[in-house]
Amino acid sequence: MGRYWQEFFLRNGTALALYLLISVACWMLLMIILPQIFMLDFSFRTNVPPPLWGTEAHGYTLEHYQYMVYGSAQSTDSYNFVDLSVFGRTILTAIFVTLIDVALCYPVAYYLAHVASGGWARLMVMALIVPFWVNELLRAFAFKIMFGSTGIINNFLVAIGILDQPFDFIRNGVALYSGLSYAYILLMIFPIYNAVESLDKNQIEAARDLGCPWWRIHWRVVIPHAKPGITSGCTMVFMLTAGALAAPQILGGPSSLWFTQIIYQAFNQAGNWARGSAYAIILLSTSIIFVLCMMKIFKVKLGEIAR
Amino acid sequence: MISDHIRKTFTILFVLGFFAYLFGPLIIMSLTAFNSSAFPRVTPWECFSVEWFQFLGKDAKLIEGLQNSIFIGIGVVVLAVPLGLSGALMLTQVKERVRPWYYTVTISPILVPGVVLGISTLLFWDRVGTMFGASRESVFYNGFFLTIIGQATFISAYTMLVFISRLQRFDRVQEEAALDLGATHVQTFRKILLPFLKPAIASAAVLAFLASFENYNTTVFTIVSESTLTTFLAAKVRHGINPSISALAVVIVALTLFGAALHEVFKRRELAAEKESARIAKGEQVTRKSKNRFITDPAVILIFLVTVAGLGTVYFAGTMGLDECKAAVKAEKQRVVQERVKKRQQKSMFQDAGRQALTPVPEGAGARSRPAPGTSNFQGLFSPDNLEGQAGTKETEQEQEKTRAAGTEQFQGIFAPQNLEEQSGASGEQQ
Repeated sequence: MGRYWQEFFLRNGTALALYLLISVACWMLLMIILPQIFMLDFSFRTNVPPPLWGTEAHGYTLEHYQYMVYGSAQSTDSYNFVDLSVFGRTILTAIFVTLIDVALCYPVAYYLAHVASGGWARLMVMALIVPFWVNELLRAFAFKIMFGSTGIINNFLVAIGILDQPFDFIRNGVALYSGLSYAYILLMIFPIYNAVESLDKNQIEAARDLGCPWWRIHWRVVIPHAKPGITSGCTMVFMLTAGALAAPQILGGPSSLWFTQIIYQAFNQAGNWARGSAYAIILLSTSIIFVLCMMKIFKVKLGEIAR
Repeated sequence: MISDHIRKTFTILFVLGFFAYLFGPLIIMSLTAFNSSAFPRVTPWECFSVEWFQFLGKDAKLIEGLQNSIFIGIGVVVLAVPLGLSGALMLTQVKERVRPWYYTVTISPILVPGVVLGISTLLFWDRVGTMFGASRESVFYNGFFLTIIGQATFISAYTMLVFISRLQRFDRVQEEAALDLGATHVQTFRKILLPFLKPAIASAAVLAFLASFENYNTTVFTIVSESTLTTFLAAKVRHGINPSISALAVVIVALTLFGAALHEVFKRRELAAEKESARIAKGEQVTRKSKNRFITDPAVILIFLVTVAGLGTVYFAGTMGLDECKAAVKAEKQRVVQERVKKRQQKSMFQDAGRQALTPVPEGAGARSRPAPGTSNFQGLFSPDNLEGQAGTKETEQEQEKTRAAGTEQFQGIFAPQNLEEQSGASGEQQ
């Protein structure tokens, strides 16, 4: 080990070696690892006012995790149906949104990579970047305008006579689901596009010449090749959707909550930081489990996911 | 092959639909900023105006948020670019066995939900502050400090990816040659590696600034009592929407597009420079022409011209004849409302007369079931649909306020256009 460091200093020179070591150590320890450990620690502590933190009263407890499952001691329900159902719905919706995004993006990515040609294709790929740069809040706001009771969609549907009264898209969650699908769609299309584009066109030609119908070309040739891209896109979209805060805050109906909103409430309204961090840990571990599952099922490496 | 044709048409329609889904909301939102209507919408179109933009300039909180965002963005660039660079340089040097772990840890902030990053940063520095016994005014509880740290955690991972992809094309031989020729390590770093990384540093800086500028999930937890543009925006959107938010959106969209275009220019210049050096290496002659300066780059000029022309046209068109147009719209609205009032009155009088003539109420059936004279005037006012419409949409309230001012207090909301529609539906069912 000592020889390794000696070599390291020799290779980089003292100044550069020190810069590398210090900044990487600061980043990894002070910004990535320690904060997570502290949050984990904090989530197992009792909820006491800040002046008492670190004193005897600030002991270890499981109450916040128990609260998530069983609810408060005063409630008559045997389980904490509110938080559990919000959590379940968040995860299910995130999976649903991810599937929608795959279904939307795969054909477009294939089209851009192999069917469209030349300048047009390049222009379209460039154009895809534009919405990606627009703020998440504003994208949600745009959906709120469109889906409002006098928004353009309602006005259009009423005008052509499909509806006789404006439909409340926001209360019914339609606005939220489409807004969420929209929010991170580009993190789905770019990985798939990159993966599909690297496929040799000759393989498709060969399959076609051998009499393969178009759907089997996709199933046996294109999709297997695009698998890392699809996995990467799914992981990113799922994580970001499950952890989204802006879109649910703006597009969520009055009765629907998102799990991140519960965390937000615990921090900013209830002032219960310990419970907030316990819930954040739950969200984080769900995300990690999801990524691990994706890596196991589709046999890809983490390096292929985060690109 | 008919089925082939159908499939092709279907695919093209699908792609078009996809792009409509991608751009439609943004275009509609941008349009609403130029409509003088008090509610952000495209239909009905009232007057083309830029008054919502003028509105923005007067908002002191917005300006403060913007300043804070820019300050934080610069802080993040200063922190995240060196961190990302060191992370990327370190990746090639850590031991083979440790490398996957190292990569996993440094890349993980990208995958961790932003909310979680914000909370952990807030908690960690709070605890550190407590350990040192720092006062509440100290840096550990400062929103700017926390936000810069929190955002830099994952933005450093972005910049690291930028540097990694650039470093993959770096030829280590250059460094070795410099060292052999007697250069010190610091000199080699400054004279060989940094110039090679310059385009990557520029694009990483732009990327870091943009990512910081539009971050919300992490910022909302770490900002504590301060505010940034995004937290200001979120609060505004949640408290009720009006077109000044659309105007702000247009400004932000324009700025981010500008940034994205700049990013693209940097990237192209980097590629061009690489091609050129490849040509030089081959011994070809390089003409003076291909060495464009940044300012004279056609793309930069184009961006500049489009911006100036767009802003000029919009401002000119939006301030000319606005008052006349508004007055016309107002008069038109009043006329429509009055017409509806008249029609409504005529209709209800006719209905009352008709009902009393057609359905003689038998004696003893109870006065309760018989509509009291004049009640039918308020038909549907108390129907549940009507109430819901009022509570559910701000829009109706706004309309009502307008009509309330124009009409009488007594007929609250009865003259709102939507209300009329619902009533005619309801009375249709009754008849």
